[in-house]
Amino acid sequence: MKHRQGAGLKLRGIHRQFEGRPVLNHLDLDIAPGEFLAIIGPSGCGKSTLLRLIADLDQPDQGTLDQSEEDVDVAFVFQDPCLLPWRSVIENVALPLELQGVPHHHRMPAAEALLKTVGLGEAQGKFPQQLSGGMKMRVSLARALITRPDLLLLDEPFAALDDITRHHLDDHLQSLWLNHPMTVVFVTHSLSEAVYLADRVVLLSAGGGDITLDYKVPLAHPRTPATRVSTPFIDHLKIVSEAFELLARTPE
Amino acid sequence: MRALYQIVWLPPLMSFVLITGLIECSIILMDLPAYLAPRPSAVALALWMHAEELLKATWHTGVAALLGLGMSALLGALLAITLASHPLIRRAFYPYAVFFQTVPIIAIAPMLVIWFGYGQGAVVAASFIVSVFPIIANTLTGLLSTDPALLDLFRIAKASSLHTLFKLRIPGAIPHFLTGLRIASGLAVIGAIVGEFVADSYEDGGGIGTAVEIALKEQRTDLVFAAVLMSSLLGLLIFWLVSGLNLLTLKRWHLGEFKDS
Amino acid sequence: MMDRAPLRILWLVLVMLISSACKDASDDPGVGTPFKADIQLNWVPEPEFGGYYAARDSGLFDQEHLEVELKPGGPGIPTLQLIESGQVTFGITTADNILIARDRGADLVALFALYQILPEGIMVHAERGLGGLEDVFKGGTLAMEPGTPTFKVLEKRFGFHQIHVVPYTNNLAPFLHDPLLSQQCYVTVEPIAAKRAGASPQVFPISDTGYNPYSGVLVTRREVLIKHQEEVHRLIRAVKAGWIAYLKDPTPANQTMHQLNPTMDEATFEASSKVQTPFITGMPATPIGQMNLERWQTLSGQLVELGLIQPGDTQSAFLPSE
Repeated sequence: MKHRQGAGLKLRGIHRQFEGRPVLNHLDLDIAPGEFLAIIGPSGCGKSTLLRLIADLDQPDQGTLDQSEEDVDVAFVFQDPCLLPWRSVIENVALPLELQGVPHHHRMPAAEALLKTVGLGEAQGKFPQQLSGGMKMRVSLARALITRPDLLLLDEPFAALDDITRHHLDDHLQSLWLNHPMTVVFVTHSLSEAVYLADRVVLLSAGGGDITLDYKVPLAHPRTPATRVSTPFIDHLKIVSEAFELLARTPE
Repeated sequence: MRALYQIVWLPPLMSFVLITGLIECSIILMDLPAYLAPRPSAVALALWMHAEELLKATWHTGVAALLGLGMSALLGALLAITLASHPLIRRAFYPYAVFFQTVPIIAIAPMLVIWFGYGQGAVVAASFIVSVFPIIANTLTGLLSTDPALLDLFRIAKASSLHTLFKLRIPGAIPHFLTGLRIASGLAVIGAIVGEFVADSYEDGGGIGTAVEIALKEQRTDLVFAAVLMSSLLGLLIFWLVSGLNLLTLKRWHLGEFKDS
Repeated sequence: MMDRAPLRILWLVLVMLISSACKDASDDPGVGTPFKADIQLNWVPEPEFGGYYAARDSGLFDQEHLEVELKPGGPGIPTLQLIESGQVTFGITTADNILIARDRGADLVALFALYQILPEGIMVHAERGLGGLEDVFKGGTLAMEPGTPTFKVLEKRFGFHQIHVVPYTNNLAPFLHDPLLSQQCYVTVEPIAAKRAGASPQVFPISDTGYNPYSGVLVTRREVLIKHQEEVHRLIRAVKAGWIAYLKDPTPANQTMHQLNPTMDEATFEASSKVQTPFITGMPATPIGQMNLERWQTLSGQLVELGLIQPGDTQSAFLPSE
């Protein structure tokens, strides 16, 4: 069993370009262990690239990326649920453990327990094709958490869902994070989702990924549906929105 | 209540009646003698009169075709996995896999007799050679078109390449493999019949290839067409068998595959 | 003829489609122009057609005021169907095929029979020391096309219980490869090739069984005979003269045929034309091309017995010699 609080990250001078066009331009960013960080920004600001670099799916052209601990366990949630259609729900959730060689009688109860916490205890024998989009996303979340990762990366995970489903999933994600201490880096294009979930919101500019806003959200966790309509929340959202609008109106 | 046109067997039955009726009428109208063009009714009569020997021949050919198809499925899938394992292997050997598609089976069939002897061995080999390529090609496509996001998922989970192969790429290629198998099912029958032309053993009366050959020699055009019809039915039967397998394997996932089949 | 014909199905369909369109393509030559006749051979140019090439090259057809086209055949050529459908006016086939075609409703008439004795046999390896056809069926493998009257005659006479019967595909490799394999052959073709390949073949003629249909038979439709009786007789005369010339000196015609069929060398042409001579002249010697009713009746009776045809008129199956 892990007893960490999550992994911290130190990014220095990260540079990445595709076909000569810089997507991330000498970016510096520190992420504290156990922090819930939301990254927002207009399309093409390098949010996804940054996430892939952190996940080691891509290498920077320049710069360094240090983790606070050895052997950090990373999990990734994609915008698409990415479930294996030939596996049942519970087999999908247990997959990362299976790949680590955890025996059947250990991984299945773990997957079952996790499915219950995302409210899918009944659906464990079903196949992905039989689930709604929101349910698939919850399976995807459960699968990401099955290894108790130190670092959870999410790339616009709820973008394809309707608002109600999305709010439910926000709450699921928050409670998972509160129950399994870990660092979360959450890329989203929804400002209110970012403010609602994160300890800290980072706004990247388009065409180079400069940090134009680094904002701490001083609201206590857990946040609840009531938070969304509270005055402090709306004030914080307003600050972030103004910075975003300013960026959107500035020519590159 | 379902509309009439929704009954599965009705449209093919209607087209069958229409087409055979048209052929029957045009042969009567054009006054073509039976030795040049047998009427469908004469073919039906020949089917009925020679039902037992035709069924035996169809069984004979069917067993060989299924064995050939089975070998194609097994070896075709293994070859595809080997080809998918490394780009260098693929570049070096894929051109030779195309050989199977272009080989004029009638030309090498006599050699099959020398290699495998007369009888089922050579017939199965002919069936295999003709039917293996679509399985290799389709399975390979499936193995190479794995969703990149899923590959990322496995990379993040630090899966070994063997795990990635067996738990991701192979299961993901199964729909492609089954498509190849469906294409191969008809070819396996053709291959077996061509094999029979050169390598059949006549002890138990032989297969459809032999039945066609005998009917030709006896100048029984009605029987020729009856035998050809049996080979089509055999092809259809094996195709249905494979489609059934398809359905059983895939009905829980890839539902989209079946919307129109 | 024991030619193989898996492609015949395709031909049949093509013939069926075209036949109604051009049924009377070879009608009425008109006054002064020579009578046009095409003859469909059932194999590539070989000594079995020597007399035809001799007649053409030495102007015998021209003398009879005929314009003859010799159409070489090959594996899978549906000679009978081409004649039946009127695609060609004349063709070469065997007497048994003619009777079967007549039984199926095609009114064909035999005009000229080259081989008095069927030049077909079973070829075995001489090392086996077999004494006759009956020994062939005591063991080993026999490569033979199924469905032919010959096949049925042998099956009925000797039974295929002790022998493994497999297809024959005009390929000598299995014979050379397996010392216990015997196969069907033309006495003029395969034994010569087998000898050159280093084997020592021995041939038992099919006619030993008493089954001896005329072969190398020139045939046409009755329709043609009725419309062009005089021209047909002229053609028969020219063909006969051609064969007499060829038997006297086969070399010029062999050279012509070698040009058309270069895969067969001149030595083989010579050997082959020598081998076929006694099968043409017959035992006892018979005038070239001549047929008699008795042999047609015998053949008809044999085919009825084999279940291949119903009893029928044989008188009208051939044109008696003048």
